[in-house]
Amino acid sequence: MPGDWRSSAAYRIAGVNALAFAIGTALLGVIVYGAMHVAFTRQLDSMIEDEARALVGEYHSDEPDDLARAIAQREASRERERLLYAVFTPDGRRVLGSLQAKRPPLGFHDLTFVDRSEGRDRGRGLAIDLSPHQRLLVAADRERIERIDRTILTVFGFGFLGVCALGLIGAIILGAYLRARLRALSDGAMAIVAGDIRARMPVGARRDEFDQLAIALNSMLKRIEGLVDNLRDVTAGVAHELRTPLSRLRNRLESGGDEIGPENASALRVINDAIQGVDEVLSLFAAILRIAEIESGETSRRFGPIDMSQLAIDLAESYAPAVRDGGRNIIWSIDPNITVNGDRELVAQAGANLLENAQIHTPPATLIRLTLVAAGSFACLGVSDNGPGVAKADRARIFERFRRLDISRDKPGYGLGLNLVNAVARLHGGQLVFDDCAPGLSATLELPLISSPKGVDDDR
Amino acid sequence: MKLLLLEDDKEMRDHVARLLRAAGHVVDDCVTGRDAIFLATSNDYSVLILDRLVPDLDGLGALKAIRAAGVQTPALFLTALQSIGDRVEGLDAGADDYLVKPFAGAEMLARVAALGRRSPTADTITRLAVADLEIDILKRTVSRAGQPVHLQQQEYKLLEYLMRHAGEIVTRTMLLENIWSFHFDPGTNLIESHVSRLRAKIDRGHDQELIQTVRGAGYRISNAG
Repeated sequence: MPGDWRSSAAYRIAGVNALAFAIGTALLGVIVYGAMHVAFTRQLDSMIEDEARALVGEYHSDEPDDLARAIAQREASRERERLLYAVFTPDGRRVLGSLQAKRPPLGFHDLTFVDRSEGRDRGRGLAIDLSPHQRLLVAADRERIERIDRTILTVFGFGFLGVCALGLIGAIILGAYLRARLRALSDGAMAIVAGDIRARMPVGARRDEFDQLAIALNSMLKRIEGLVDNLRDVTAGVAHELRTPLSRLRNRLESGGDEIGPENASALRVINDAIQGVDEVLSLFAAILRIAEIESGETSRRFGPIDMSQLAIDLAESYAPAVRDGGRNIIWSIDPNITVNGDRELVAQAGANLLENAQIHTPPATLIRLTLVAAGSFACLGVSDNGPGVAKADRARIFERFRRLDISRDKPGYGLGLNLVNAVARLHGGQLVFDDCAPGLSATLELPLISSPKGVDDDR
Repeated sequence: MKLLLLEDDKEMRDHVARLLRAAGHVVDDCVTGRDAIFLATSNDYSVLILDRLVPDLDGLGALKAIRAAGVQTPALFLTALQSIGDRVEGLDAGADDYLVKPFAGAEMLARVAALGRRSPTADTITRLAVADLEIDILKRTVSRAGQPVHLQQQEYKLLEYLMRHAGEIVTRTMLLENIWSFHFDPGTNLIESHVSRLRAKIDRGHDQELIQTVRGAGYRISNAG
């Protein structure tokens, strides 16, 4: 099902693209987060180190109380970025400062302390020995870094969601665009499959990759069309050229028959059989040429409105006596006011072929039913029978030219009748549909309506 | 009848001319379109029989020129061109009938006879009669020996066509083309069934059979039966 996005290469490509962007954004976020974290930790470390140096300077000054005063002064400050201080004795007692923490080892490290307002908190500190008895600890609350970390995470979190959302929207748009471009190509191809060999892929003005592909496909189609035309011309040409010698042959046989005269009955019979043989070949050629003419689309220039209801009645009334004389029966049900656009003669021939088929391939006492209804935008001319029918596996093959199912080998014909009906259907933009009537076969010629039936039975 | 035959293929020309002469017609033959124009405009023919593909000026062009010169002689195309388009083109050019080669001699003769006897006032006739069989074309009523006969629509059309060509042979193909508009061989012998039903209604119970079967050719309605 082409409407399923999971099976769509276009959406898959667009989705992978969007996913790659999202992963890239996430990676970028991790790197920025790491780099910023390291940078801010370093900045904090250097601030702590400067402060520790300053205090070491106070300690080594002449006044012995300078350190205590300096610490008290700094702790009393109302600055937001104030640091925390403590001086420990080797046995772990805090002798100066208000930083409530354990005596730390030397150097930088992360620590935990008890904040007066927030309780246990995480911090970063530097421990320096002022003397063998005094270890100075200068620490900073990590809250600053944590705040920055949170900001970065928030920014990137939203950024990531934004990228994902944009990626998704982009993927949907890109996917829809790719699908639309590809659909134009597949629609063109389907038109050709449907029988319009002259259909071409649309080529845009931009000459992008899709247009290049369309151009390439169109040149391929032109080549195929040339080959098809060539084949048809050869077929028609052979059939046409053979008519001349066959015409002469027929004329000579007829002249010969005239000269023999009725007294030599057996010789006359041979001549007449020969003429009949020539006529069979000629009618085969006529059928081939007629199909070639239909398939060339030439006749569509003469299309006009056809009163299908009248045509169907004419067909039924024309065939009814012959069908009944052949030991079968025929009934018909024809809706009024059904009109199609087309070639009356070809549609009549198609209908006649369906009726021929219904007689040739069924046993005597078969009931043949001719119907005409409007279904949707189609006029449906149906010929069904209650005969032996056609096996489902064979139904697709009975359209084919010269295709004769094994069971009909002994029947007259060349296997061109349904091929012609099919060609007529396609010429008119319709189709020939077979169904099982259980028992029997139904063949329906569906042709596009030009106006909807008035739906009134008044005329009857 | 005096006929003009345009045909470039000698064998075909001889064959057609022989058939026509054997049927009692006088035939002038020619091989180019120019000759055909000259002959058709300077003689009084009953029917022009023209091949389409001839050298110089083809049959189509010749007929157009003949019609342009004001000659309304009925014309029959004999041609190997059998597509619907070719036939429509031929009739549009002013031909009255179109017969695809090869054809049975009887078919060609029947068509020539039908064209030759085509009366210019045929469309104004309102009643037709053969012996005691009468039809009223306006009312579409039929009577035999004064008794009304009820016919199906297609039987009536068949009878009217036969009556319009009373005394002439009408072939199966002529009936298919003119009554059913079937320019193809339907396979089933539709005509025979219709004729036998018509015959049952017209001739049954009467001494004289008006509808006759002409073996190898077609049917004829006449009071000769």
